[in-house]
Amino acid sequence: MRISFGDKVFQSFNYVVLILIACSSLFPLVHLIALSISSSAAIETGKVNLWPVGFNLDTFNLLVKGTPLVKSFLNSVEITVVGVALCMASTILAAYPLSRPQFYARRFFTLMMIFTMIFTGGVIPTFLVIQGLGLVNSYWALWLSSLVSTYNMLILRTYFENIPSEIDDAARMDGCGETRLLLRIILPVSMPVLATLTLFYGVAFWNVFMSMLIYINDTDKHNLTVLVQQMIQSQSVLQQSMMVQPDEQVHVVEEGIKAAGVLVMIAPMLLVYPFLQRYFVKGVMLGSVKG
Amino acid sequence: MRAAYRKGIDRKRLRENLPLLIMFTPVLLFYLIFKYLPMGGLIIAFKDYNFMDGVFHSPWVGFANFRKLFSDPNSLNIIRNTLLLSSLSIFVGFPFPIVLAILMNEVRRMWFKKVVQTLVYLPYFYSWVIVGGIIFSIFGIEGSWLSHLFVFFHVEPFPFLYDEKSWVAIFVGSGIWKDMGFNAIIYMAAMTAIDPSLYESAGMDGANKWKQIIHITIPGIAPTIILLFILSMGRVLEVGFDPVYVLQNPAVSDVSDVISTYIYRVGLQGAQFSLTTAMGMFESVVALTLLLAVNGIARRFQRGLF
Repeated sequence: MRISFGDKVFQSFNYVVLILIACSSLFPLVHLIALSISSSAAIETGKVNLWPVGFNLDTFNLLVKGTPLVKSFLNSVEITVVGVALCMASTILAAYPLSRPQFYARRFFTLMMIFTMIFTGGVIPTFLVIQGLGLVNSYWALWLSSLVSTYNMLILRTYFENIPSEIDDAARMDGCGETRLLLRIILPVSMPVLATLTLFYGVAFWNVFMSMLIYINDTDKHNLTVLVQQMIQSQSVLQQSMMVQPDEQVHVVEEGIKAAGVLVMIAPMLLVYPFLQRYFVKGVMLGSVKG
Repeated sequence: MRAAYRKGIDRKRLRENLPLLIMFTPVLLFYLIFKYLPMGGLIIAFKDYNFMDGVFHSPWVGFANFRKLFSDPNSLNIIRNTLLLSSLSIFVGFPFPIVLAILMNEVRRMWFKKVVQTLVYLPYFYSWVIVGGIIFSIFGIEGSWLSHLFVFFHVEPFPFLYDEKSWVAIFVGSGIWKDMGFNAIIYMAAMTAIDPSLYESAGMDGANKWKQIIHITIPGIAPTIILLFILSMGRVLEVGFDPVYVLQNPAVSDVSDVISTYIYRVGLQGAQFSLTTAMGMFESVVALTLLLAVNGIARRFQRGLF
């Protein structure tokens, strides 16, 4: 088919816009990487754009030695790993019964869950419940208060419902109970969607911020998100003090440190992201079918 | 119907249901304790809650908390800010994922599409603390990328994050930047359902790309657009806590203070539980009402969600 001049213009415009959008995601990241491994002098004079100048790892060194970075990194890992395990188990336990046509009151239970998506008790009443249960200052407050995401549960339920019923009929013939059916047959064929939900829950727990501020007062238990945020904030406090008394050395190190701190938060995500990308695209598409 | 009901309580079905009910019990408890119990806790919006008396024995005050909220210029300003920031985010941000999806749909080179997708989905997974760090490294008043640029051109640095108008623009823009790619996935999924023969015959008839987009792609994804628009209505009085908390500073608090940060500051840090619960309840009720109203309108056009 002949391509008209107008369509050629459109195509070029299209590519240019998409390249610009892609760069808007890529450049800030590259800029942060460059900042974190450049020398203080180069950062101070604004020589660092997308390429590191005067390579060194002082910032990471200082982060590890001068801040509770390692501790909060481990806290973040603990919160994420346990949280994902609990949430995945609960979401499966919610979605599987609701996907079975013979389950009592499945419509009622489903509506009861969906209602919580559009109407909630809000922050304070939830806090009072958590406080009443004595969970303040414990990670259980974070885990239990977000045990099942209704949205994720609906994605999983839809997936289970679309598994051909011949499979479980056959299994039942062989005398397979519900638990074994779930563990041996349903879950293994649901790996793509389970991977998607693992990513969603993992990211949510890795990034958890507001709940951390609300429920965890003990600074030893703070996660990476709160630590990095405090570093960014204290820097703005520092800036104000520098208006009065300029101290270049401290200021420059802070810029690089801030970038390094942000990178430590992004790094684990960047590591798993490429492997899970194809899954989450499928997962979101699935969720959109029966939102 | 009756037969089905009788069948419903027969032994076989009960036996089948027993393991399912056991599986489901923890989940049911979660919803009751952490979702429905707090809804019951909303009664403290009509009380003067204090720690000594607890939820049940604190004195009733009727609508006093609500009256206080709607007569205090400070809390009215917070409602106004919330409405402003969220409607800007919804209405300005709404077309971006649609346009992005349309543009990506027109790309024929698969490797290029893959690379762009990988990059534009990424910011969705960043926490707001990371986005904040990026924003400060670009727009910050001192030592940021732009400030160096200003110095280079011998211009007085502009305080982007300390000026109300530019702060709002950065707030809305960073939200769009963060979520645009990910939200485009849903539209791209909708586009895969469009019959390719429509494009072929339109091409035969001499319709150019632009006309194909207007007359085939957009009508094809219209149901999805309306559905997502209805859903976004439920968030019209909701501005997330994280972005505001991360980006705010005292210089812009007149426009940046929103319901979620107000509840955190006045409610949790200032221990005014009843007043802020009333605020939270106001937000929830408005969200529910709007969602039902917009859905009602959409249903008139056979496009309702429920």
